[in-house]
Amino acid sequence: METVIEVRDARREYVSRSGVWKREKRVVKAVDGISFEVRRGEIFGLLGQNGAGKTTTIKMLTTLLAPTGGSCRVLGCDTFGEEKRIRPRINFIFGGEMGVYRRLSARDNLRYFSNLYLLPRGEQEKRIERILGLVDLAERADDLAETYSKGMIQRLQIARGLINDPEILFMDEPTVGLDPVGARMLRDIIRRLKEEGRTVLLTTHNLAEVEELCDRLVIINKGKVIARGTPEEIKGGFDTLEDAYVKLIEGVSA
Amino acid sequence: MSLAVLLATMRVQMKQSFARPMFRFCLIANPILNTVLLYEMYRGSGEESFMAYVVLGAGLMGLWSCICFSSAGDINRERYSGTLALIFVAPASFPTIILGKIIGNTLLSLLTLGISLVTAAVLFRTPLMLESPLYFLFALLAAVAAFVVISSVVACLLTLSRKTELYMNCIEIPIILLCGFVFPVSVLPAAVRAVSYALSPTYAVELLRMSVWGVEEPAAFWQKLGILLGLTALYAVLSALLYRRIDRRVRVAATLEVA
Ligand SMILES: Nc1ncnc2c1ncn2[C@@H]1O[C@H](COP(=O)(O)OP(=O)(O)OP(=O)(O)O)[C@@H](O)[C@H]1O
Ligand SMILES: [Mg+2]
Repeated sequence: METVIEVRDARREYVSRSGVWKREKRVVKAVDGISFEVRRGEIFGLLGQNGAGKTTTIKMLTTLLAPTGGSCRVLGCDTFGEEKRIRPRINFIFGGEMGVYRRLSARDNLRYFSNLYLLPRGEQEKRIERILGLVDLAERADDLAETYSKGMIQRLQIARGLINDPEILFMDEPTVGLDPVGARMLRDIIRRLKEEGRTVLLTTHNLAEVEELCDRLVIINKGKVIARGTPEEIKGGFDTLEDAYVKLIEGVSA
Repeated sequence: MSLAVLLATMRVQMKQSFARPMFRFCLIANPILNTVLLYEMYRGSGEESFMAYVVLGAGLMGLWSCICFSSAGDINRERYSGTLALIFVAPASFPTIILGKIIGNTLLSLLTLGISLVTAAVLFRTPLMLESPLYFLFALLAAVAAFVVISSVVACLLTLSRKTELYMNCIEIPIILLCGFVFPVSVLPAAVRAVSYALSPTYAVELLRMSVWGVEEPAAFWQKLGILLGLTALYAVLSALLYRRIDRRVRVAATLEVA
């Protein structure tokens, strides 16, 4: 199978300055030399504690952030330097209530983003209608997003992430704030994307979800990979992935 | 550069700006209050042309505040709502999107001139004269171009640094004073005037005022218009240079998002 994401010894540091008079420079190594590969059609999990570097990794892969070392390649192109060839073919969803225009309706949001993704006029309305149905927002599509519940905004985000029929979809904690029905809907969407041959890279703190969905995963801690493999491999002798995960994290913090 | 993207962004921007109470305040209440204030200030001064200083002054002040608080503030609003990253990596070019936002806001902000005109006409019943309407139209178009270009420089700086909003609040009033929105630049000390004449809005304001009074020497008008367009072109080149560097800079400095 073709490799669509290739991360080689990627690093990212953040420099922050604090203090008013005596400016102190602090360097945070958010991602500290990680490597992994994702093949086309896989559902790939990125796991780790808060602050482990998951979001930072996704930002480097989605051309939002430059690595300070190593390389990130998506669809064969460098995410820093060849981003123009990557951007139309991928999309991403960040969990929570960010990433939508709250003073516009769901339909207007999707129309606007289909323009920004340069979709042909004739195709826009058809695709928007289909996606609105997919995320179950058709009924409220013409209300302003600011009147939506948290989960509805989340579903609108998912819809937005599908607007360009992306080959790879990056999802950062996509089920945060979704009700059980919404979370299952999202899992169904993810499985359907896989059936269509698309690739999904996702982060989540819900390990049952990982067991259910992911073909392979890496666990990162403080910017470094501490485990990798299929859910079964990582589970090893433990009953659940959660038990194995907790042991792994305890192991490295001891 | 895609016209569809430009137009879609203008539409979306106008919808969103108008939905914001702060923007509506700047757009509607601000010019009314300023018109009243300026009228009271000019009433006993012997200045006859209320149109030139009161209506135009209040209108321009409103236009400029809308630009300061919206074109500039919008970048931070998008940053905090997580959409800045989205428009930044969309296949449509980022400068086109920003330009669409700015043109949308500026067109909407032009309402301030009309509101200030109506306020003066209704409240004070003074004769308001516009002697050279055609010249006024040219001056207005050039003024809009100048403001659009300035906003685009500001928007670019804001994308690069989160602190720009602070600076923006600091320059709002100085520009009003330096560029002679509400009084002629000639009353300023010579050293300050040198700064005034490096700023394109100064010429825009003088051109507008000339056409209100009536253009007696067309040559002087065209000359000033030429300077204004030249300065605007210069700012535009600067802006284009900035935008060429932004794509890499922003991703190295990680300023697209708040967290
Ligand atoms: N813009 C930034 N400036 C400075 N430090 C940052 C910035 N973004 C992230 N960090 C730091 O980098 C580290 C990794 O953050 P990151 O957001 O990638 O973690 P995460 O694995 O996504 O965590 P979570 O599960 O909480 O979302 C953290 O220590 C965080 O404080
Ligand atoms: Mg995160």
